[in-house]
Amino acid sequence: MAYLEINNVVKRYDEHVALNGVSMHVEQGTIYGLLGPNGAGKSTLIRIINRILAADKGTVTLNGKQMTDDDITHIGYLPEERGLYKKMKVGDHIVYLGRLKGMTKADAIASMHWWLDRFDLKKWENKKVENLSKGMQQKVQFIGTVIHRPPLLIFDEPFSGFDPVNAEQLKVEILALRDQGSTILFSTHNMASVEEVCQQITLLNHAQVVLSGSVDEVKQQHKKNIIAVQTPDKIEPNPELFSILPPDPMKKQDTLIKLDPGVQVRDAINWLNEHYRLTGFTEVLPSMNEIFIETVKFKNTENNG
Amino acid sequence: MDKLRLIIAREYMSIVGRKSFIIMTLGMPLLFILIAAVPIGMAYLNDKGSDVQQIAVIDETGRYAAALHSDDMYNFVAIKGDTVTNAREFYDKSNGSLDAIVIIPRNVDSTGVVNIYSEGTITPALVSTIRGTLADTIQNAHLAALGIPNLQQMVDKAHVDVDVRSIKWSDQGEQESSTDAAMGLGFLLSFITYMFVLMYGAMIMNSVIEEKTNRIVEVIVSSCRPFQLMLGKIIGVGLVGLTQMAIWVVLLAIVGTVAGSAFGLSGMTTGGVPAEAMTTVEDMGVMESFTRQVLSINYVPIIVNFVLYFLGGYLLYSALFAGLGSAVDQASDASQFTTPVILIMLIAFYAGIACAENPMGPMAVWCSIIPFTSPVVMMVRLPFGVPTWQLILSIVLLFGTALAITWMAARIYRRGILHYGQKASFKDLFKWIK
Repeated sequence: MAYLEINNVVKRYDEHVALNGVSMHVEQGTIYGLLGPNGAGKSTLIRIINRILAADKGTVTLNGKQMTDDDITHIGYLPEERGLYKKMKVGDHIVYLGRLKGMTKADAIASMHWWLDRFDLKKWENKKVENLSKGMQQKVQFIGTVIHRPPLLIFDEPFSGFDPVNAEQLKVEILALRDQGSTILFSTHNMASVEEVCQQITLLNHAQVVLSGSVDEVKQQHKKNIIAVQTPDKIEPNPELFSILPPDPMKKQDTLIKLDPGVQVRDAINWLNEHYRLTGFTEVLPSMNEIFIETVKFKNTENNG
Repeated sequence: MDKLRLIIAREYMSIVGRKSFIIMTLGMPLLFILIAAVPIGMAYLNDKGSDVQQIAVIDETGRYAAALHSDDMYNFVAIKGDTVTNAREFYDKSNGSLDAIVIIPRNVDSTGVVNIYSEGTITPALVSTIRGTLADTIQNAHLAALGIPNLQQMVDKAHVDVDVRSIKWSDQGEQESSTDAAMGLGFLLSFITYMFVLMYGAMIMNSVIEEKTNRIVEVIVSSCRPFQLMLGKIIGVGLVGLTQMAIWVVLLAIVGTVAGSAFGLSGMTTGGVPAEAMTTVEDMGVMESFTRQVLSINYVPIIVNFVLYFLGGYLLYSALFAGLGSAVDQASDASQFTTPVILIMLIAFYAGIACAENPMGPMAVWCSIIPFTSPVVMMVRLPFGVPTWQLILSIVLLFGTALAITWMAARIYRRGILHYGQKASFKDLFKWIK
């Protein structure tokens, strides 16, 4: 049994269907990527988990139990469109968010101090939010999301608005939270970060799950049997084994060969080794970015056709 | 419940802690004082700043010039009538040292006409001073000329002011009723309700829109129910309003006490002048009657009902404003929704004024029962006595409607706060309620 289970959730708005029988199982202590193009239904699903919206059909269980309104204290939610009360003091604001999630005042204050210290924001505690830079406001927002030590964290585009240095710091914090046992649902368009941090993913398109599984599995499923070969020689195509692809502009020294259907990697490499001076080879797996684009485009043409 | 308290506290502090609130709370009474004080101060400065005018009084009768006493503004110089043959020459010869010449003609007793000559403009103040003083003096002289002993006293006795006192028969026996004071109180309470609902209703709407444009709202509703947030706002802002009113009442009491003691003192210093003393006594009579009226009003039911109508009206309109505010992205878009609401409020306010003339008329009765106008109109009717069944019907309707509106507003709010982009129409709002 997974920590967060979404089973067959349906949500209709007045005329259009936002979620059409979506299921998703998130294991405890993992980072789970929720992917999909704009308008696929990600925000609706996240809002249903947060109990901001109610599902028309289907169930959401947390730790094996049907979720209730009281469970929102177990969730920390960082929405994509974020904001803070501009006129509130940083410290008061964080404590307010913590207490709304059910913390005691003393606990919230202690936790606030710990986090401000960790993000080097201590001297801003009594400043108004509007006096902070955008990056600092994002950090305050992040602290407000995690202050109550929720076992389930939902981050919608967490890295937007962060410079590379701060994004890296944020990534470290997110990984640390996972290592402490938090379960993290991570929604983003940034496929590079998906490959870096996610173990599992679900790809939504047009209100439905079109792809799901572990990042490695998904990549294996989508591999195109391409091998990058390093050799000083010029390889000619072999009609029985492989064809030659145009080189990757970023890695021009590698020769890309595409195996013909049914050909084993070992056979191709053996043949190449006999005929050329091989210095190395690697199997090319598609990036999540490529898989994303391919899946979404394929489904779209399928739908339109 | 804890969350609701947190939200109320935050909402309250976010407004009360602002500089603008402090400025507004202290500034409003100051503004009123200024509005009242500026004309008085200006008139005072105007009088004080001008030079004393030299007025020559040519009294051909020789009897009345002495009545014109010099003061801060005018220096009257009596000149015997037979010494001046040509007033114009006399004026010219003064080389500008005279501002005007008053000629009291020999036949003034029969004609009652006095002339003032000047090259400059003759001020209304001078004309009224001369008219007032001479009229009294000449009238007294006429009475004296009749030669009837004690005539003055007889005339004074014959002078009558009619004071109408209305007495109401009630279960407690005869009771002096209180038309003026009651009407004043009714207006005051209805105006307070009207102002409060408009001011703080708008404040709630702005607070809703601010959270929406800030995008903080999604974080907050992931921690509490939207209804809690809306209710917290309504209660929080309501408490702000009560705080502000309490501060104003305290300020008013302080100003009243200070002003009262100041006027008391000035009354004593001028007490020596008989004319002044007379008017003071007269004023006291009016004051006494007014005080009696004020004391005769039965306050307990009025205050209980005021609190009920005030709360009901505030809940109704503030929920409406919160719901409507949630449907727009920015304050400037709000007018399409708020205009009808403000129109209803205005109708209620004018109905209240109209109903004061005839508090038992059909319009007054209807408007005081219909929930959207009743909080304002009933306040005007209340001091005149309202049949119990009307009162109960009106209050039940008001609270029933207020709760229904709150429920509908909450449904709109729930959808509205997360609705961005395309402007919502009234049609959308109805869809959201369903």
